Amino acid sequence: MRESQDLILIIDDEETIRDSCVQILVKSGYAAETAENGETGIQKIRDLRPDAVIVDLKMPGMSGFDVLENLRVIDPQIMAIVITGYATVDSAVEAMKKGAYDFLPKPFTPEELRMILARALEHRKLALEAEALRREKELLEENMITMVSHQLRSPLVAIQQYFEVLLAGMAGSLEEKTREMIRKASDRLVRLLDLINDWLDLARIDTGRLVGKLKPLDLRPALGKLVEFMAPLARESDMAISWDAPEGPLSSVLGDEETLEQVFTNLISNAIKFNKPHGRVSVRIGEERDDVLVEVQDTGIGISKEDLPRIFDQFVQISRRADKKLKGSGLGLSIAKKIIEAHGGRIDVKSEPGTGSTFTVRLPKSHPETASP
Amino acid sequence: MTTPAKILLIDDDPDFREAVTAILTSASYAVIPASGPAEGKEKILAEKPDLVLLDIMMDSLFDGFSLCHDIKNSKEFEAVRKTPIIFVSAVKQIAGSRFEFKGGEQGLAGPDDYIDKPVKPADLLARIEKHLRK
Repeated sequence: MRESQDLILIIDDEETIRDSCVQILVKSGYAAETAENGETGIQKIRDLRPDAVIVDLKMPGMSGFDVLENLRVIDPQIMAIVITGYATVDSAVEAMKKGAYDFLPKPFTPEELRMILARALEHRKLALEAEALRREKELLEENMITMVSHQLRSPLVAIQQYFEVLLAGMAGSLEEKTREMIRKASDRLVRLLDLINDWLDLARIDTGRLVGKLKPLDLRPALGKLVEFMAPLARESDMAISWDAPEGPLSSVLGDEETLEQVFTNLISNAIKFNKPHGRVSVRIGEERDDVLVEVQDTGIGISKEDLPRIFDQFVQISRRADKKLKGSGLGLSIAKKIIEAHGGRIDVKSEPGTGSTFTVRLPKSHPETASP
Repeated sequence: MTTPAKILLIDDDPDFREAVTAILTSASYAVIPASGPAEGKEKILAEKPDLVLLDIMMDSLFDGFSLCHDIKNSKEFEAVRKTPIIFVSAVKQIAGSRFEFKGGEQGLAGPDDYIDKPVKPADLLARIEKHLRK
């Protein structure tokens, strides 16, 4: 039993062929439509979207071949069976090349028609199912991350929203002890939300969707602004922050400004966080062969030789954090690495325990030979 | 005394609505809650609010986008088209595509502002005030 009746369109200039086909098809449980020439046939294909078309190759005016060509443009999933009066292998092969699924040499028996049509429709069904599955899978992958994120975050966001209201005193005044505990709970919750965000960023890079469209980007003004933006944070922690960029021309890179900004924000805030009291953070930009080079240097506690190879691994909270309040998810640097690599670049670190660390980001120039002003 | 400004709050999370309502009423705004896009559509036409706070992901991924798009562009909502709409959402990216403010390629009008969820009460109130003054 078919769930719905398949619609078959017969395009043939001979009335007797049209009529006999309709008779056979209707008896076999199909719905049938006819057209007496190619033009009408194509119009009906457009309007009715049949499951299969049976078309005579040789008709006055528009030929069966032309119908096949049009059909392929309208909807390649509609099955085409050609009727050939002159059953030469050549015309059949030609028709198959133009997208026909099979051919029926005249004269044909009702059984031959039914068999070939059934096979064509079975093929169509499978092709449509495969197509639907493929599309569903794509959509699932695309929406999965977003849905998971939504469902993980929604309850936490609601809780945090209540905390915000309580802390703002909008639900009545709080005793100091109560406020203090709500503030702590709220802080932990914010960390958890950050962790989920970071994790989702990583999942996105893994599916290749984090980095947006790459456009020619002049890093110098973008970084300059970022340093300016981070300066208050440095001052708060009693650090000096310096920004060093060449005066002359500097090549642009192919980059996604938003994610690159995320990388450099992470590097600079790390340099502030893990610095010594009254330390210095230096941010520099320059060129080296075909790369634009950005360095973020701190005068902090540095990273031990054992930790250095693991620093870009996921969830690594290395010991330089030991004397600090545990902050962040341990994902920042691995996200940075993935973003830079998605740009075709590289990120490296050099460190001297007790003296400081230097993170170097290399991004390929957008035009390796010519430097833009 | 002038009548307080009316704010339509469209969000499918009842707890979030309750918390945000507390913020809005503390600043003497009148709050009209709506639990989803359908109710939101109804109430924006019936109540003619002064401003709309709109969640993006409700029943489906793009509910907030579609609703905002309809309000700003379709004939049905012509009478309320100028109402400022602020997206309130925890998602900044949907499958890698970032929000387009003020239309994008088709020149269609988008939301007037965007605030991250959870919202900071002071920030929310400041943004609302800014859009109401316009």
